[in-house]
Amino acid sequence: MGAEITTLGQVGYRINQYLKMDLFHDKSASESDEDTTDSEESVYSGLEEEPDTSDDEEEKNDDKSDSEDEDNSESDNEESDKENEIDNNTDDKDVNEEDTNTVNVAAKNKYNDKNNTRTTSQTVDDEYYHDSSDEEDIRNTVGNIPMEWYRDYPHIGYDVEGRKLIKPKKGDELDEFLQRMDNPDYWQTVTNKMTGQNVLLTKEDVSLIEGLMLQRTPGGAKETYEPWIDFFTHETMIHPVTNRPADKRSFIPSKYVGQMVHAIKMGWMKRSTDKKEKVDDDEPKYFMLWKDDEENEATRRYRANIPAPKAALPGHVESYNPPPEYLFTKEEEEAWLAQEPEERKINFIPKKYDSLRLVPAYSRFVKERFERCLDLYLCPRQQQTRMNINPEDLIPRLPKPKDLQPFPTQQAIIYKGHTDIVRCISADPTGQWLASGCDDETVKFWEVLTGRCMKTLKVSGTPRCIAWNPNPAICLCLVAVDQNLLVLNPGLGDKVLISNTDSMIQNIETTESAGKSPPLNWTVCEDEQYDEGYRFILSHPKEITHVSWHGKGDYFASVMPKADSKAVLIHQLSKQRSQNPFSKPKGLVQCVYFHPVRPFLFVATQRYIRVYNLLKQELTKKLMTSCRWVSSMSIHSGGDNLVIGSYDCKLTWFDLDLSTKPYQTLRHHKKAIRQVSFHKRYPLFASASDDGTVIVCHGMVYNDLLQNPLIVPVKVLHGHKITKDLGVIDCEFHPTQPWVFSSGADGTIRFRGLLEVPQPTDVSSLTLPASCYGTCCISRGLLEVPQPTDVSTLTLPASCYGTCCISRGLLEVPQPTDVSSLTLPASCYGTCCISRGLLEVPQPTDVSSLTLPASCYGTCCISRGLLEVPQPTDVSTLPFLLFIMVHAAAA
Amino acid sequence: METNNIPHVQARFFTKQPQFSVPSAPFSVQAQVGTCDLSSLINSLLNEGDGEKTNVDFDFLIDGEFLRLNLDKHLENKGISTESLVDIEYIEKQQAPEPEDSLVHDDWVSCVQGCKDCILSGCYDNTVRLWSVNGSPFLTIPGHSAPVKCVQWITDDDSTVKTFMSGSHDQTIHIWQWDCESNSVDCVAACRGHAGSVDCINVDHTKQRFCSGSWDKMLKLWSAECEAVEDEDEDGDIPHKRRKTSRRKVQTRVPILTLSGHNEGISAVEWIDTNQICTSSWDHTIKTWDLEQAEEISSLQGSKVFLDMSYSPLNRQIVTGSSDRHVRLWDPRSSDGALVKSIYTSHTGWVSSVCWSKTNEFLFISGSYDSVMKLWDTRSPKAPLYNMTGHDEKILAVDWSIPSSLLSGGADNHLKIFQYKE
Repeated sequence: MGAEITTLGQVGYRINQYLKMDLFHDKSASESDEDTTDSEESVYSGLEEEPDTSDDEEEKNDDKSDSEDEDNSESDNEESDKENEIDNNTDDKDVNEEDTNTVNVAAKNKYNDKNNTRTTSQTVDDEYYHDSSDEEDIRNTVGNIPMEWYRDYPHIGYDVEGRKLIKPKKGDELDEFLQRMDNPDYWQTVTNKMTGQNVLLTKEDVSLIEGLMLQRTPGGAKETYEPWIDFFTHETMIHPVTNRPADKRSFIPSKYVGQMVHAIKMGWMKRSTDKKEKVDDDEPKYFMLWKDDEENEATRRYRANIPAPKAALPGHVESYNPPPEYLFTKEEEEAWLAQEPEERKINFIPKKYDSLRLVPAYSRFVKERFERCLDLYLCPRQQQTRMNINPEDLIPRLPKPKDLQPFPTQQAIIYKGHTDIVRCISADPTGQWLASGCDDETVKFWEVLTGRCMKTLKVSGTPRCIAWNPNPAICLCLVAVDQNLLVLNPGLGDKVLISNTDSMIQNIETTESAGKSPPLNWTVCEDEQYDEGYRFILSHPKEITHVSWHGKGDYFASVMPKADSKAVLIHQLSKQRSQNPFSKPKGLVQCVYFHPVRPFLFVATQRYIRVYNLLKQELTKKLMTSCRWVSSMSIHSGGDNLVIGSYDCKLTWFDLDLSTKPYQTLRHHKKAIRQVSFHKRYPLFASASDDGTVIVCHGMVYNDLLQNPLIVPVKVLHGHKITKDLGVIDCEFHPTQPWVFSSGADGTIRFRGLLEVPQPTDVSSLTLPASCYGTCCISRGLLEVPQPTDVSTLTLPASCYGTCCISRGLLEVPQPTDVSSLTLPASCYGTCCISRGLLEVPQPTDVSSLTLPASCYGTCCISRGLLEVPQPTDVSTLPFLLFIMVHAAAA
Repeated sequence: METNNIPHVQARFFTKQPQFSVPSAPFSVQAQVGTCDLSSLINSLLNEGDGEKTNVDFDFLIDGEFLRLNLDKHLENKGISTESLVDIEYIEKQQAPEPEDSLVHDDWVSCVQGCKDCILSGCYDNTVRLWSVNGSPFLTIPGHSAPVKCVQWITDDDSTVKTFMSGSHDQTIHIWQWDCESNSVDCVAACRGHAGSVDCINVDHTKQRFCSGSWDKMLKLWSAECEAVEDEDEDGDIPHKRRKTSRRKVQTRVPILTLSGHNEGISAVEWIDTNQICTSSWDHTIKTWDLEQAEEISSLQGSKVFLDMSYSPLNRQIVTGSSDRHVRLWDPRSSDGALVKSIYTSHTGWVSSVCWSKTNEFLFISGSYDSVMKLWDTRSPKAPLYNMTGHDEKILAVDWSIPSSLLSGGADNHLKIFQYKE
């Protein structure tokens, strides 16, 4: 019985085990196989008493199906399949009915199932309990084959014994229909293909299938994922996560810590940080060569990448087989050896090898690598942005001279007659007459339009300065001759005016001031002198260098630089008196001018311009000229601007409203500036210099006070020859037209008017080569002769610029007559050469006889008909040459 | 082969001179021919017909402009297609003027005018001189107290007594009577009123009035009648007249009318018709005046000082010389934008004087400070027909009053006469 008990216990255990954990059922089954046999025997033997119930059940089974019967009948076999074992088990259970009710109940159910429909769940349990194989139903041993193969056979397969498994009897359609109608469990009945038997699915099976279909967990677990409880959040919780009380050590001070603190305090112990510092001091300091202090390495590299300098690529010289011209000759090699290593162009001697195989190891390799490293080390580490500025952008943008017309451009008339330096010129207010004073002790009066000398006055001395009365109603002219100031009536122009002036002079009542003695006396001229035009002679104590009129023509001022306190005298015509406005000399006075509108007097000394208010008798302004020696001054007709020329080549513009410092300084002249002059109407001013040029500038003064004056140099006028180191002495504008007069040391007065073509046409449209048109083109603005004197800057061949170049001093025509001595091809000298007799234009008519190419003869030939610009006819038919000869004879 | 490669132009030649007419059938001429080749072509065509040889130089006009370059270049410049038929008019070439004489003065010759066979010139030595066309001097007339600036014939008929006038720097205009037979001259009247040098005078077609322009900006109208002529006709006795004129004081005239409007001196005055005059001035304008209304009608604005002006009744156009190197052609009737019809540029100095031909509407002459007188054809704007050299100094005056003589006076004291052949 003890054994039975154990078996019973074993069975109970087994069942429990199975129910609890399926995982181990294989193992447990295998373990318990042998035991079971024993137990079964014992069980079987011991439970024979109650077969009734089982018999009843068997009967029922028999009713149902034959195959079941067979199974049942053979279920006694101990080595049977699971089915049999189930049967056995059921037997066991039946036997053990009293012991375990639950098991019994289950067994009974199974039995019922067996008769009709078998429940898989419980049966399968049993099946797999005994068999570890995953193989399905082994009641049929045909294996996993399509069961259709047995369709035509009465059996459906073979059992373990090899016996045929006869197909269960299948009802007809009617039975099927009745089943469907009657059986409430029809919907959960399926057919086992292997056995052909119907199986009734349990509720669990159905729910499992439904779960599979809904893709739920097949095991039927309620919740796959447990809800997450965030114990360790970032939020500080008021309660501890655990309820564990704090350790004791957490609130009892450590004795070691106290000892260490004490040791640190006492200096016995060093803190770790202190130790580190000490270590740093001992270590050598390294720093990044290429690193910028502030910027992040990565961004810096990205942003401003400075590539390391590249080594030059090898050229032909470095070749093992260089072209022979690269190989050194002996001299070259010696020279190379003699040079300092730094000075050598290449740091090796090129050598030639027949083949690459013969090239030896490079002896300088290490050294060169080292030098390369040095290069890298020494290369610049800072990126320098190159200023990519067009230098022309830095120059202030000035309007083109062409847009600033009119201004004088070309010499129009030469006033010939003087034989020495023409010191001074002055135009009359109407612009019909011009007066000039010359070192040959004459004063000449010219007709402006024709250049006709209308009158010549012999004076006793050198006329230093001449000034025509600006009042058109008074016909008087001041001439400063040495120490005398002559007041002349030139007797030109309107007769009525002349006589009126004379009568006015005669009617002057001389008012003698009783108190002070006048600085000088007026001598009234009479008789011969009167007839010559002299009206007054004002004898000054010293030499007069400058005279100027007040705008209304009544007052005039004279300057005697050497007369100390009497340097400036102001005279009044209508009262015939003179006065000395300054008691103390303020320097060497150069010139004085009256303000055109207001009662101001501008006094130019060597370095300063002083502006005096004549009414208040005080100094109102002192202009710093920043020049060494002021030579001349001119006041704009508005009175707020003035220009100053100086002997140190500077032309200075002052804006009186702006500052006492120069507004602009022009340094265009190469030599001392002798005279500056404003035009009365046009925005022009001119400066005459010892370098033989007159520079005309556009000087626009705007009414808008905010806008600064516009100053543009527009034209350099050449023409005066430099004699005795003196070029142009004086210049003055025509009062109404944009013309300028200039007087030079060469004894001529030149007059520049406008000779501009309004619409310059394209040079390319000229039918003949441009050189033939010579001067014409330039003067028409077709060819530009640059103001700087370098011939090399000319865009066209110099020959095209012909006479112009020469007249502007760009080309030198030598006085000696040899054409061969000309440095440039003779054609460049154009007409000039011919006019100077350097080139012969043959009188006979044949162009072919000309020794030089016809273009050399420039305009001359054209004008003489030797070159046919307009009419390409036979030269021989032209009659000009005829009358050239005639006139030559006549002359 | 080569000839085929050379471009040809279809040209039809025609002329208004019937003695030179050629068949009007078009010819194919090489494109790069010049006037010489064309001229020889015409000559050969003319010589084909009759036995006698003609050798005339021709000038060729295409669309009213002289052919001066090669034909293809000319067509290219004018934008005329060489494919189409080109009508070329040819005329006998203008013969070159020939220098005839040179009359020497004592001083600069400021003004000159011819009349039939007499030449009148004003001189800077305050005299007016009378010459025959042949160059023989008739008279030297002192009378002015300052250089003479302008002279003008009043009568241009063949009568023995001729009148003329002269204006001077002394602000007066003198009217003179010259008896050809006795070669004596009388000052009939002195016109006073100008307050500046009288720079220009001009008499109208009726010879009744004349007007003068002066440096004083005024334009004055005067009577040109010579009362002395009537007296003389009454008397008919020359010694008597002499006596009479010597007895009688020189009549002083005052202007009929004074017109102001110019801002600068007046440089030239011309009659357009009996009531309209035209003036050019230093203030860069050409003004037209109506004498009946005594007011300014129109004004043409130039850019330079006008030194001289000439009006041609033949083509009703004005040429001006100004203080630059150009001669400009104006149409006083047009008032639209392009006032300057064309510019003739060849001079190298200021153009001091210009004068239209009295007979040919295309021709005019110009004198310049570059001492060259040029003969221009309006149809040849690029180049003058002929240059007349000879002066050594500035030319101050030119005149073409005698159709066969071109006169020029200059600062070299010479008055040059060039013979002009039609």
